[in-house]
Amino acid sequence: MTAASPAVPARKGAALGWLRRLGTPKIIIILVVAGVIGYLALVPLYYLIWGTFFDANGFTLGGFARAYGDPRVGGMIGNSLWFAVGAAVLSLCVGTALAYLNVRTDVPFKGLFFAASIIPLIIPGILYTIAWIFLASPDIGLLNKVIEPIFGPGFLDVFTVWGMVWVEGLHLSPIVFLLMVAAFRSMDPSLEESALMSGASRWQVFRRITVPLTRPAIVAAVLVMVVRSLESFEVPALLGLQNGIYVFTSRIYFVLRSYPPDLAAAGALAVGLLVLAVIGVAISNLVGRSGKTYQTVTGKGFRPRPMELGKWRPVMGGAIVLYFFLTVVGPLLVLLYTSLLKFYQAPSTEAFASMSLDNYRELFHISDATTALRNSLVLGLGSATLVMVLMAVGAWIVVRSRIPGRQLVDHFSFVPLVIPGLVLGLALSFVYLRSPVPIYGTIFILLIAYCTRYMPYGMRYAVTSMHQISAELEESAQVSGASWWQTFRRVLLPLLSPGLLAGWIYILVVSFRELSSSILLYSPGNEVLSILIFEQYENGQFTVLAALGVVMVLTLAVLVIIAYKLGAKVGLRQD
Amino acid sequence: MNTAPPLSGRRMPAKRAVVSGSALVLLLAGCGGSPTATAPQATTAGGPTAAEKLYAEVNGMTGQQRRDKLVPLAEKEGALDLYTSMTSDVADVVINAFEDQYNVTVNLYRAGSETVLQRVVQEQKAHYQGNDVVETNATELFDLNTEGVLATYDGERRRMVPDAGRQEGWTATRFNLFAPSWNTKLVTPDQAPKTWEDLADPKWDGKLSMELSDSDWYLTLYGYWKKQGKTDDEINKLFSDMATGAKVVKGHTVQGQLLSAGQFSVAASNYSYIVEQAKAKGAPVDYLPYVEPVIARPNGIGLMKTAKHPAAAMLFTDWLLQEGQAVLVKEGLTPAIVEGDDPLKDVEIIPIDVQELTKNGDEWNKRYDQVISNGEQVEGN
Repeated sequence: MTAASPAVPARKGAALGWLRRLGTPKIIIILVVAGVIGYLALVPLYYLIWGTFFDANGFTLGGFARAYGDPRVGGMIGNSLWFAVGAAVLSLCVGTALAYLNVRTDVPFKGLFFAASIIPLIIPGILYTIAWIFLASPDIGLLNKVIEPIFGPGFLDVFTVWGMVWVEGLHLSPIVFLLMVAAFRSMDPSLEESALMSGASRWQVFRRITVPLTRPAIVAAVLVMVVRSLESFEVPALLGLQNGIYVFTSRIYFVLRSYPPDLAAAGALAVGLLVLAVIGVAISNLVGRSGKTYQTVTGKGFRPRPMELGKWRPVMGGAIVLYFFLTVVGPLLVLLYTSLLKFYQAPSTEAFASMSLDNYRELFHISDATTALRNSLVLGLGSATLVMVLMAVGAWIVVRSRIPGRQLVDHFSFVPLVIPGLVLGLALSFVYLRSPVPIYGTIFILLIAYCTRYMPYGMRYAVTSMHQISAELEESAQVSGASWWQTFRRVLLPLLSPGLLAGWIYILVVSFRELSSSILLYSPGNEVLSILIFEQYENGQFTVLAALGVVMVLTLAVLVIIAYKLGAKVGLRQD
Repeated sequence: MNTAPPLSGRRMPAKRAVVSGSALVLLLAGCGGSPTATAPQATTAGGPTAAEKLYAEVNGMTGQQRRDKLVPLAEKEGALDLYTSMTSDVADVVINAFEDQYNVTVNLYRAGSETVLQRVVQEQKAHYQGNDVVETNATELFDLNTEGVLATYDGERRRMVPDAGRQEGWTATRFNLFAPSWNTKLVTPDQAPKTWEDLADPKWDGKLSMELSDSDWYLTLYGYWKKQGKTDDEINKLFSDMATGAKVVKGHTVQGQLLSAGQFSVAASNYSYIVEQAKAKGAPVDYLPYVEPVIARPNGIGLMKTAKHPAAAMLFTDWLLQEGQAVLVKEGLTPAIVEGDDPLKDVEIIPIDVQELTKNGDEWNKRYDQVISNGEQVEGN
């Protein structure tokens, strides 16, 4: 393609030039990406909004009355916020600390804990939660048995809001970890080093230099965590209900359970979340927008160098070992232990004597197990790649371009986060059952569902990384004659790669667990792993389920390690 | 490639591009009208469908004549699209047995009963012929029949099903039995509950588990007690006493698992087959002797008016009510048609009040929700 020629007559030239400019790869790509993001978000949003505000008789607010009219709504909102904010804070602290230690210091056991810190993400929520019941229930908890001589019986109680915060916070911490790892990777350590040279203590450096520089990532993490915890179902259902602790999602569950599902009430609750999320996105952009403050990847060459912990090294190493024992090894051991039994029982000589590999053997007899594994892999790899590619461009539009209305792209990409999975499934089946293109009943409808569901995460990962990259790098590439596409591909993509890779891994891993929309949309031959898990669960085969969980953890851990080994070859390198 | 166009002058087209892009999207989303507000209705506006004509013809036939008519037609159709909420371990066995007997390939979609209902309704509204037969819980079948998508099925096998399982549009194939179960390490046979009223005993405070969604169990037991001459106040007090200190669990599987593990001593309303499975594996749980009356929730089968493979659909239905019954028994389920020795003949069984559930289901859901959430008394009606 060429630049507009000035030789043609004025009016015709203007029209032609306009067309040509419109036809540049940049415009086409931006158009397509914005269109796709808008389309993916608006289909379910439209369905939700229509269902919320309109019934057979026209406009109505009845859904809000039913959703928020419950006399317990006050306590419910209180519980929800306590739970969500608590889990968000916990996951933020844990995830950030781990990421910092991992990327920026010479802490020991790095190789071990990098892969291991992803494990809570891989374990299906229901298994992770039940594993914690077996560990910290006041009645049967194994940890309680261990500490009973010191603290007395039933010291730990997982069936409280604090217990819920603990389990959810730990389960979510890998999202923060991945986000913050990307942020720390792209940070110029010379800023911290100068502060240290000027006599600041390590804590001061962390508080005054490190944290402010990664603020966009922190804000993104808090935002995603709060919304995620508000929506989380397994933890409140299994831990909260037992003692009558009701949260937001318990309501969504109740209103969707009736037939026909009360979409209006579910929508009213989702709209509440949406308002919260939009405010959050606005704040995060306001924070991220304040110019060059966070741009740590600039024209100046730098290599992130690990900080020496000195005498703190063994202490931190010990803390990490303890952390992993508590949050990863503990639940995983419970799963492994359960997967070898015929039925769950507290450890005893009897229990150990009855152990066998029968549950693993049974896995091979599950029909469609290989089909499901293949489909899950195809869908996971496909949706992770598609989403991250789209969101890389999307993030450029939001952060870097000056296009009016660019914030809409950001808002749209966030919409699916607040849409309950079942509603998304209903919306997609509604649209594609009527679409002339035969997508319904194929694996593509699942791909569309996954891309929609994980778009918000992809966008947060991409935007966060984009905030850290200085515009001067692009400008110099363009001044040197590179096209927009060349600049994007050869300058921006490599610099964004830590963030994009983190998002990719996150989506790959969680897509293996997606159930709420898959179950409505799959068709014979397109089963996925999460559906097998659900079936084993429904069959009451908890021990087989545990075996399946162990196999999933191993499979995904291998994939994640490979991804990181490959990822280490591109992007910023460490010494 | 190309040279970089000047930086200025790029804004306007880009702006228009995005604006028109979103307009297009809005337009796309806008067509098609209201997705949710339209009242559901039967897809067959006109006369009977081809499938219905076949059903009507075969409904009058009996015995071998009926099979002889259906088998060649079904094998010519070659396939059967089945949607069910049967658990996969049972479904696999059932389908294999059917496929062994007839040259018909079964395409299986399996999900929870609520999802099966959603799926069928969505497809029917869009005139999409997804399934030929649906096999799921009574409540969902009742809703499907209300939607007008189920066809009339009749025959000698249907007439052998108990009254409660012979509903308009569907026929019961099996029953799920609700009965209290207990952990035998924590509860001796003497202490085990003997009547439903026993569950209200304060000795179970903090040791009894109730399930989040068992409002059908609740309404049936409520109706039973009412018939026994208890007043609303007495009944409400019983449930409220049960709920006091009760540990609420979501899902019968989890409930069974935690019962085996000893997280609580007694589960109020688990399915007997879940407990039986655990017991067979050696878990310290039991539900026998039954607390009576056992409350039975029918699961049934319905033929779709829009079936693509009507003969296969009908053959499968006949088969499930005949040969299939033995397969279900072997899988530990309670069949709809009992032939020969009935292991439950001395047990009082009452079916879920499906009529009441469908009419006032939401009301009962709310009341049960209130009962289990705060153990407070609910306004009687």
